[in-house]
Amino acid sequence: MPYIYINIILAFVISLIGTLIYRSHLISSLLCLEGMILSLFTLNALLSLNINFTLSTIVPLILLVFAACEAAVGLALLIIISNTYGLDYVQNLNLLQC
Amino acid sequence: TLTLTSLIILTLPITTTLLQNNKTNCFLYTTKTAVTYAFAISLIPTLLFVQSNQEAYISNWHWMTIYTLKLSLSFKLDFFSLTFMPIALFITWSIMEFSLWYMHSDPHINRFFKYLLLFLITMLILVSANNLLQLFMGWEGVGIMSFLLISWWHGRTDANTAALQAMLYNRIGDMGFIMMMAWFIIHLNSWEFQQIFLTNPKNTTLPLLGLLLASAGKSAQFGLHPWLPSAMEGPTPVSALLHSSTMVMAGVFTLIRFYPLMENNLTIQTLTLCLGAITTLFTAICALTQNDIKKIIALSTSSQLGLMMVTIGINQPHLAFIHMCTHAFFKAMLFLSSGSIIHNLNNEQDIRKMGGLYKTMPITSTAITIGSLALTGMPFLTGFYSKDPIIETANMSYINTWALLITLIAVSMTASYSTRIIFFALLGQPRYPSLTQINENNPYLVNPIKRLILGSIFMGFFISMNTIPHTTPQMTMPPHLKFMALAVTLLGFTVATELNNMTHNLMFKQPSRMHTFSTTLGYYPITTHRILPYLSLTMSQNLATTIMDSIWLEKMIPKNLTIMQKTAASLVSNQKGLMKLYFLSFLLSITLGLLIAL
Repeated sequence: MPYIYINIILAFVISLIGTLIYRSHLISSLLCLEGMILSLFTLNALLSLNINFTLSTIVPLILLVFAACEAAVGLALLIIISNTYGLDYVQNLNLLQC
Repeated sequence: TLTLTSLIILTLPITTTLLQNNKTNCFLYTTKTAVTYAFAISLIPTLLFVQSNQEAYISNWHWMTIYTLKLSLSFKLDFFSLTFMPIALFITWSIMEFSLWYMHSDPHINRFFKYLLLFLITMLILVSANNLLQLFMGWEGVGIMSFLLISWWHGRTDANTAALQAMLYNRIGDMGFIMMMAWFIIHLNSWEFQQIFLTNPKNTTLPLLGLLLASAGKSAQFGLHPWLPSAMEGPTPVSALLHSSTMVMAGVFTLIRFYPLMENNLTIQTLTLCLGAITTLFTAICALTQNDIKKIIALSTSSQLGLMMVTIGINQPHLAFIHMCTHAFFKAMLFLSSGSIIHNLNNEQDIRKMGGLYKTMPITSTAITIGSLALTGMPFLTGFYSKDPIIETANMSYINTWALLITLIAVSMTASYSTRIIFFALLGQPRYPSLTQINENNPYLVNPIKRLILGSIFMGFFISMNTIPHTTPQMTMPPHLKFMALAVTLLGFTVATELNNMTHNLMFKQPSRMHTFSTTLGYYPITTHRILPYLSLTMSQNLATTIMDSIWLEKMIPKNLTIMQKTAASLVSNQKGLMKLYFLSFLLSITLGLLIAL
């Protein structure tokens, strides 16, 4: 496997670990989510360029669109939590159950 | 000759308005003399008609042709219009002379005369029209002039409200008129009376219903009646001209014009009869306890209009027309004499504050007495020649007994409220402040009243002797029916005299239910003027704001979605929100899976 793919997959795995393991702020999870998406995007773009399969050049673009929507939803959730608790600490999330 | 003279009649008043010298004082006198000459000239075609019974239709200026419909300026000079025009001109002449005295101190008296003249011209257009378009122009013209004249003292809110009321109720009637015009042009392709009567269509219920609605609006029948008592906000000459002799006759006149169609349609006749009967009884009840002299006379006009409708309903349009002509005389005279009383008592209109005018105002009190007697149908005065035949024919024809009884009761009430006016205004001790300026010496006041007195006494005789009866009158009837009208009137007189004499001694602590019903005009204006606008406004508010904006845009999708999701989420999930634990377990399971696979 070419080295560059391994590099980018490694970036993906590191971002994944960053998403799942975080200390107190929720926003760091969201940031690592963005990192995941970035690495996936780069992987897709490089793959379609190297294999010379022209039709698959649309895949990174679609990924980008869905990434934008998802980032917006994540930020909306963040704002709701921030409106309710004032901060985005994770330990707040099980305090007031409605 | 007939054509030329009648056209001259119509143009004489018009040329006076065209001169437009509003600043000079002689505008008034030229107007009055123009109307006088017009009256004199209009007698010529009338007398020619009386001698020869020769009707004429003048059609001179071709206006336009829309596909197959030819519209032209055409005048119809038949029995109805030729008899009515001199009467209208005579009364307008008297009223203009009267308003020279009444409106003497008004700075805009030139404009007042111009409005009166415009009203007269539109009324003459209405009366002499041969096609429906011209009649409609006259119809609208008298409506507009009524609006302008009722709100003459436009600084007073009551006057403005009354003018708006008149306009709105007339408009409701106009819808019926337009429906009738539309039906005629669709089915008969013409608006000319000759063609309509020649083709004699068989299914005329719909246009005649429209016509009935139109005359109910213009002539203040029950349901569309509140504008007439409110229209007393205008000056007394206006009330005398418009709302006693001419404008409110326009509706009845149009109904009379269509008598060939109405002869064949029994449904419409029954409807007219019942509507007229209800109107005459209702307004007579309301007139019994009013305290404003002009309102009593206005409601009496409304009651007489109902009587005319009843006459049309028993298929006697010619009797209705004769009653219309005679009624014009004594009603105008009653209004003029009430105007004289009002002005002489320093603008006092409440009959509870008048009294004892029998000695101080002899001419006016004579006028009121003669007018009331003529109104109630005293034998051999004017009203007798028209009212008595109506009651006799009604008694002898095959009609609804209830309508007949109601009409008879209303006739007795006519006598009652006339007695009430005479008793409170003329007899007894004076109840007005002592510093009086009662002065009847002005010839402008006295001459019109004298002329109208002569008219009230003799015109009935003249008109009925000079017209050829179109239907055979009832010659034989049992004596108790023959004397029914007279007996009922005498009953009304005696009961009213007794009751009015009792008011010297008794005083009710609280008005009874019937009294408040009568005084507030049967609760009709109070209820309908609030309820109808309220209903339409709430309906439109519901349609516009609530349904469109609030429900469809806001509540239907966004809010419903949030509420559904929130309730579902809070019901279904039982998570505890331990995010780090969930994420760590996720990572651990992924790693374990990868390790086992490799």
